[in-house]
Amino acid sequence: MAMREILSLIKASFHTALSYRLSMVLSLGSLLFTVVPLFFVARALQPTMAKSISTEGGVYFAFLLVGMIAYTYISVSVNAIPSVVSSGVATGTLEALLATRAPLPSLLLGLIGYNFLWTTVRAVVLLIAGMLFGVHLAWGQLGSSLLILALIVLSYLPFGLIGAALMLAFRTTGPLASVVLILSGLLGGVYYPTSVIPAGIQQLSAAVPLTYGLRALRRTLLEGVPFSAVAPDVITLVGFVVLLTSVGLLALAEALHYARRAGTLAQY
Amino acid sequence: MKESLIPAPSEDRGRLSEPAPAVVLDGLTKSFPSRRGWLETIRHPRSTKYQEVLRGVSCTVRAGEFFGLLGPNGAGKTTLFKILATLVLPDAGTATVAGHDVVQDARAVRRVLSPVIADERSLYWRLSSRENLELYGSLQGLDRRAARVRAGELLEVVGLDDTGEKMVGSFSSGMKQRLLIARALIASPRVLLLDEPTRSLDPISARRFRAFLREEITGRQKCTVLLATHNAEEALELCDRVAVLNHGELLAAGTAQSIARDMGNDRYRLWTSDPGHPGIAALAGRGVVQAMTSHQSDAPGWTVIEMDVPGGLDRAAQVVAFLTEQGVPIARFEYAELSLADLIERVVEQRGTNRESVRMSGDGDA
Repeated sequence: MAMREILSLIKASFHTALSYRLSMVLSLGSLLFTVVPLFFVARALQPTMAKSISTEGGVYFAFLLVGMIAYTYISVSVNAIPSVVSSGVATGTLEALLATRAPLPSLLLGLIGYNFLWTTVRAVVLLIAGMLFGVHLAWGQLGSSLLILALIVLSYLPFGLIGAALMLAFRTTGPLASVVLILSGLLGGVYYPTSVIPAGIQQLSAAVPLTYGLRALRRTLLEGVPFSAVAPDVITLVGFVVLLTSVGLLALAEALHYARRAGTLAQY
Repeated sequence: MKESLIPAPSEDRGRLSEPAPAVVLDGLTKSFPSRRGWLETIRHPRSTKYQEVLRGVSCTVRAGEFFGLLGPNGAGKTTLFKILATLVLPDAGTATVAGHDVVQDARAVRRVLSPVIADERSLYWRLSSRENLELYGSLQGLDRRAARVRAGELLEVVGLDDTGEKMVGSFSSGMKQRLLIARALIASPRVLLLDEPTRSLDPISARRFRAFLREEITGRQKCTVLLATHNAEEALELCDRVAVLNHGELLAAGTAQSIARDMGNDRYRLWTSDPGHPGIAALAGRGVVQAMTSHQSDAPGWTVIEMDVPGGLDRAAQVVAFLTEQGVPIARFEYAELSLADLIERVVEQRGTNRESVRMSGDGDA
């Protein structure tokens, strides 16, 4: 995998995005309209939520903010690859890229790299806005938190690979992205801790990678607990990454082989 | 097109002078699943019909050669190119590029071969032409500086150096076409695939582009070029050899002259002032001449009759003697060179029909 190829594709996406200046400004501006109501709603619900989130920072606004940032990242992880594959097939860009010497992993990382960078910019803006509204972060655990965030992304990227495989084979991802994101949002502890989910459904949240990732992320970033304290959650998350990545890579390789056999790489 | 600034081939590319073939196709076969209607899919959900796009295509293209691939729409030219570009997998047979198998060693093939993907949308429309080229230069393994220098050279070669920071989306079709070609050349490929490269160019740009291909790409860069085109005259002007593909079958390959010879070209042109003379009708009636067509010549009162005279020069001499004996007024009787377009038509008609009848009789036997 060559860094130069990845960076060139990210640069191309950046210049493309830069040519839509209004869209860029609106994308950042809209964050303010997200943070302000979030703050007031969270403050109103703080007394109700305080007890159940006591081990994850104890402040509901910070809890929600971290949940939303993580959700934005998993949303990009699930949607970015199918989206670039879909537009690449429609325009013929994918065929042109696959005809170059660049290996597939570099191409995919390069094509989605800008999405993650832009998401990071938005996340930083959200965090700064959150800090202006009183959120306290455990800066000492920033490294651990970033590592956990990376694992969250890696555990959801395979759904993107499977989505891309479906896109290559059937020209649609079907309900995959929606199902993954809705279930993760409802069962992964984005808006409320998984402990408040009714017992019958709570079992399901154990099958959602975000459950472990978010819990570990909030504990390190908001509580400041050391990495060793969240090791069980992190190990489970790593297990998801290994298992799902194998499935995702296999699905994409098969789909690519199918598309090359069926001649549908540039057939929308 | 301006004079090239592209550096001369490197030592590595100098291997082209070796006699090894650049492209070898051996029994290449490809079928695609046919699209089925809803009713058919519901009735037979598990059955798939296939349409054969390439049928045992075998052919060798020599290093440094300009090779034309001719044939009507749906002949299989684009599929063949996509197989060579490692974008489509063949069902059977093999294809090698500079000794590398397109299936087993696809990455090595991509190092030496560049296709010109003709779809304009495959460019980054919101970027400038320079940014497009620099991006692909880097994807083809050039470092940033080399990509920048090479992009500048190629923009000058294809006459886009004055487009500045204009976004590609605002380019005309011809400009985009030239950029697509520059993109394919960014990595100095040893084998270049051109699929109808001049289809969006105006006649003057097309002529300049052909000169550029001949002088720069094959002349100076010693690049092997495979050109798929509908334009027979373009192929005749550029190609050392041509192959005629129809319904996935390679019907003929060689120089235009050798194909004409193989096809037994026996077309003659007769200039007469009495096209209705019974002597001419008698020739046709006896089957001595075939496929007669006539049109008025530029000279007032004279008609040109074109006819096939099977049987070589001896039979042609007999025809002249017979017509003279019959008192047919003759101003000229000359051999008619077939245009390449006529030749292709003839190849497709003769060989395509023959094979069709062979297949049909084979089906009957089975």
